[in-house]
Amino acid sequence: MSELSSAAAAANVSGAAPPEAPKLPPRQWAKENLFSSPFSSFLTIATSMVLLVISRALLGFIFNPIRQWNSTATNMQLFFTRAYPDEQYVRVWSSLAAIIILTSVSMAVWRAGSSIPLSRLGRKLLAGAVLLVLLALLAPFSASATIQWTLVAVCVAAIGEGIRRSAGKGEDERSVSSLTVLVVTLAGLVASLWVVPFGHHTYIPSRQPRVLAESGTVALTTKLPWTIMLLIAVAAYLVGRVIRERLPLNPTRVTLLVLWLLAPPVLIYLVLRDPSFDMGHVVSTDLPIFAAYAVGGSLLLSWLTRPSTGEAGRIVAVVILIAGFCTFLTPMRMVVRLDMLLLAVFALAAPTFAGGPRNRKRYVLGWLGVLGVMSWLITAINTPSTVSVPGGFFIGGFSITLMVAVLTLVLSFPLGIALALARTSTMPIFRLLATWFIEFVRGVPLITILIFFSIMVPLFLPRGMHLGEVAAVVIGYVLFSAAYLAENVRGGLQSVTRGQHEAAEAVGMTTAQKTLFIVLPQGLRVAIPPLVGHCIGVFKETSLLAIIGVFDVLYIGRIVIPGQTEFMGSTKENLLFVSVIYWVFAYQMSKASQRLEERTGLGER
Amino acid sequence: MTDTTPTEPDGGQTRDLSAARDMIVCENVSKWYGDFQALEQVSATIKEQEVVVVLGPSGSGKSTWIRCINHLEVHQEGRIIVDDVELTNDLRNIEQVRSEVGMVFQQFNLFPHLTVRDNVTLAPIWVRKKPRAEAEAEATALLERVGIPEQADKYPGQLSGGQQQRVAIARALAMEPKIMLFDEPTSALDPEMIKEVLDVMKTLALSGMTMMVVTHEMGFAKEVADRIIFMEGGQIVEQGTPQHFFENPTEDRTKLFLSQIL
Repeated sequence: MSELSSAAAAANVSGAAPPEAPKLPPRQWAKENLFSSPFSSFLTIATSMVLLVISRALLGFIFNPIRQWNSTATNMQLFFTRAYPDEQYVRVWSSLAAIIILTSVSMAVWRAGSSIPLSRLGRKLLAGAVLLVLLALLAPFSASATIQWTLVAVCVAAIGEGIRRSAGKGEDERSVSSLTVLVVTLAGLVASLWVVPFGHHTYIPSRQPRVLAESGTVALTTKLPWTIMLLIAVAAYLVGRVIRERLPLNPTRVTLLVLWLLAPPVLIYLVLRDPSFDMGHVVSTDLPIFAAYAVGGSLLLSWLTRPSTGEAGRIVAVVILIAGFCTFLTPMRMVVRLDMLLLAVFALAAPTFAGGPRNRKRYVLGWLGVLGVMSWLITAINTPSTVSVPGGFFIGGFSITLMVAVLTLVLSFPLGIALALARTSTMPIFRLLATWFIEFVRGVPLITILIFFSIMVPLFLPRGMHLGEVAAVVIGYVLFSAAYLAENVRGGLQSVTRGQHEAAEAVGMTTAQKTLFIVLPQGLRVAIPPLVGHCIGVFKETSLLAIIGVFDVLYIGRIVIPGQTEFMGSTKENLLFVSVIYWVFAYQMSKASQRLEERTGLGER
Repeated sequence: MTDTTPTEPDGGQTRDLSAARDMIVCENVSKWYGDFQALEQVSATIKEQEVVVVLGPSGSGKSTWIRCINHLEVHQEGRIIVDDVELTNDLRNIEQVRSEVGMVFQQFNLFPHLTVRDNVTLAPIWVRKKPRAEAEAEATALLERVGIPEQADKYPGQLSGGQQQRVAIARALAMEPKIMLFDEPTSALDPEMIKEVLDVMKTLALSGMTMMVVTHEMGFAKEVADRIIFMEGGQIVEQGTPQHFFENPTEDRTKLFLSQIL
């Protein structure tokens, strides 16, 4: 009966609301939850003591006058982009702007954000005020600083209480969009850049003294771009809302997803490339090769997807595959080889997507899209960077961390899924190859792979082919990440029940259709928690890049800044700052995965 | 239903199907799980529009047999011919047979990550290559036919067991099969939901669908079946019209079975 009624409750949302749990007064709540028995009272007190001691120690460390926090403030640019030339810096900002625009438009189109009741917002602010007071009391502040912080806390509390009072009760309780809260917070932060005298710090290696430290607000080159970024974000969101209302939803979403996929290669191109990039080579060589594949491949595929083609199509596909492998025997441009292999894959999959003119047109369009991205990536990786930066690398710091992490994840996901499918497939050759690859890569330390790819692989490359150092490392990292990913995905795939396989088979789906529509969506959903764990791991382990000489953010905080004569021994401060950066991003990924789980869990029991 | 087949309650039993063509032919089908023989020389022919109910105690091989017919299980000896296509290990034959044979499972096996509508339209769009709009129109019609048009945008997890099984029937029908196989379709349902599923199956039978049903619902067997096949130990023990089967069975084993359940 209970199952029935719960099913009925799920089926129609109406009906009586469940009785609300009575709200306890604070004192009773504390008694029931914190001091319910002698032992729990002991635990509560002991834990609070430990927390107090730890936060006291941490605050004592942060606010100790001997800390050189100006080493962090002065080297902010170093942290995020290393020695990226100042006169080209607008390209870094443009990349960031592009990401912000994409994010904002996507948020509008996908209706991101939730509505927060004003009372809850008020309570949060009150709790924040309490934390501020605690901070002011625990930290080793001077009397005046304590008073200042307490005053700030009082202001926050007043705002919180004001919001709580104005919230209203019961039916007409007012709420606010979480996006509004976000924008107001960000606007406050940006405004503080113009108002609060954080000080103007810069490290200028070309003059004496190299450290510039003036009082007043931060440099114009910091506050102006951030203000513009905020305005762009808001404007893009508003545009996104218009798009959502005016344009059909599904095509818009697909377009946005494609743009997101294109963003990493395009933006890296934007940041990496010098304006005097050798376009002549691209026009004379890469573009014609692309055009040839685009035209030839489209014609071939539209023939292969004809239902009447039959067996002959499979033979042609296998011939192309063999030809693709044969291209590696003779010196040839990498674009030609990889595009040939890609064409072989599309040709092999063609019978699955065979059908009427619509299907065939869609398949050819898919081919053109994938071919475009593939050719672009090869061109981008295969031509040396020409931005002249002291020290060799074009960019460093947190940008390279982010770049390597994003590229690795974007590229290793398809590879990892393919490996997992190969390992669970019924074809012995695929299964064997995938198992060997996974077991081999998992048995080798990441550092070995990175060193191998940065030093050894360039030696083996065919003549005339140049692989950027970062590109070489990313390829190694992708292989490593894919092997681990494959095992996570395999776990998910195996959780799909036999009944699901049978149901898909019973309606006549081919193995490819069953995998694509039934097994992968369910398997990947189950695998979200380990996959996100893997993403966080990949993001943090980019710090190993330091070993092969890439100046990532951790290396800069650990070695470079403490090595500046002005900031000898400032390791601890900078390490703490770097940890905060890593934490912020890792925590956001974790939150995103929780939201993703909630969304995709919609249909689960 | 607009079909011209007789609609009186026991109409199915009076039909003369001897002139109809053979839809499923099984010749000496045998199957082993390791050393255990699940099917032993099973031979039967099922005519077009015939409704066959397979009865038997647990472990008698009835589910194994029905699953062999669309190759979810692989028989090791004998021949199975479905609509003039012999089931071999050739993948194309298997896919052709499967797209003409609908199957309804005991555990529904709906796709939990798709809405009801997508569950029904997925196979027509990708296997039958139908345009989406046409497939969706047909899905709406089918959901109406099984009595749950208002649930189209829900997920299977939000439906009751009986509703889920009706969606599963609609999903199978969306492929416009010539034969429907039911593998204990009501065994996982709460008692009050069994009737709604059986009603759908009855209208389907009256519309002239060739059906093969493994079930424990004796009422359904009596009322709808053209023929009842009784299995035990992987073999067909007895078969005949419901009248013959329930009123004067010849085999001792059948009598014992009937005495235990009635």
